[in-house]
Amino acid sequence: MDDKRGRFEAEVLPHLDAAYRFARWLSRSPAEADDAVQEAMLRAFRGFDALRGSDAKAWLLTIVRNCHSTAMRQQQRRVFVPLPADDDAQEGEAMIAATPDPQESAIGRDDERTLDRLMASLSAEHREVLVLREIEDMDYREIAAVTGVPIGTVMSRLARARAALKSRWREDNEAESHAVP
Amino acid sequence: MQCPESMRVQAYFDGEVDAVVAADIERHVEGCEHCRAQLQDLERARTALRRELTDYRASPALRARISAALDQEDSSRSRQRKLPGRAPWRTPPFWLGAMGGVGASAIAAALVVLLLTPLLNNPLVDDVVGAHLRSLMPTHLIDVVSTDKHTVKPWFAGHTDVSPVVADFAEQGYRLLGGRADYLDHQRAAVVVYQHGAHVINVFSWAADKRAGRNCRAWRGSCAI
Repeated sequence: MDDKRGRFEAEVLPHLDAAYRFARWLSRSPAEADDAVQEAMLRAFRGFDALRGSDAKAWLLTIVRNCHSTAMRQQQRRVFVPLPADDDAQEGEAMIAATPDPQESAIGRDDERTLDRLMASLSAEHREVLVLREIEDMDYREIAAVTGVPIGTVMSRLARARAALKSRWREDNEAESHAVP
Repeated sequence: MQCPESMRVQAYFDGEVDAVVAADIERHVEGCEHCRAQLQDLERARTALRRELTDYRASPALRARISAALDQEDSSRSRQRKLPGRAPWRTPPFWLGAMGGVGASAIAAALVVLLLTPLLNNPLVDDVVGAHLRSLMPTHLIDVVSTDKHTVKPWFAGHTDVSPVVADFAEQGYRLLGGRADYLDHQRAAVVVYQHGAHVINVFSWAADKRAGRNCRAWRGSCAI
């Protein structure tokens, strides 16, 4: 392990959980988040020399965001390559949906948590800005850097995201109070 | 109805204003019902989000995958450093165009050499052996634990670029332990894990352009079969 690896592990790796949380809220499944984060860490490592002096967390989250959008664009183009085998031919595709992915059932459970569900119902743009501000505690300048928009846009987007969350919250409460006899 | 100051109140709440503006806004909020309610809402939402939103964390499996990918990146960097002459990324950009044709033939030649080189000199084999040895360390072996091929097989669909053969050889003494995603040859390879007595067998599958990618497909203990 050379010096670069050591510095990378000291400066960037501590932000792995933040990177994963961000990816998890950007994407629709844990597997997608895993992939985006793994790709981002690899790219971050390759481009580590460019970091010098800037904020490692904002820098890493910017890369996560790029990896996620690249993956989204490529998803339609990605081909699933089955290896040929007699055994495979008989079992076919039907098996794929047969057993639920344990991680997929975890999403089902998450859905039962009110705020998670409300957050998930917001647009990606709104989720993103809320997570960066409220969970990752980033200031407007950092959010602007990660999302690639001017600070003024961050402010108005944040205001709209908060308003959207509030109105979903209210709707949810009303629905619940109607449901209770 | 919204107060025209609501944007500045938000900035105040987020700690984005200086002391002078902050004092100004505090004076305004005292006399403005809308803005007092807005501040309360902001505070309530933040507290709820920080307290109740699921705190997702990178899983140990993901950490292991990243560590393995960085290991591979590290070892390929050190291999490149051992090559004689200039490192390719130091070549001045204007040379690139002129050298393009030569570069392409060099890559073609390198590929031929790679294909003709005996198996054990192939860096890919080093990577597979490395991945196998890493998998034997605690908690690195299996991402999906199951002796049921109908559980293991579908798991790969979301995690690797290939759909590997998952067979059940329990009757022959090779018990299915589960599956794992690994990183080989710049792609997400599928690993099916079996156990035979005390030996762990990793079967790696990945798609190599047009080659079946199975010329070194199974390892028992640390020996190739």
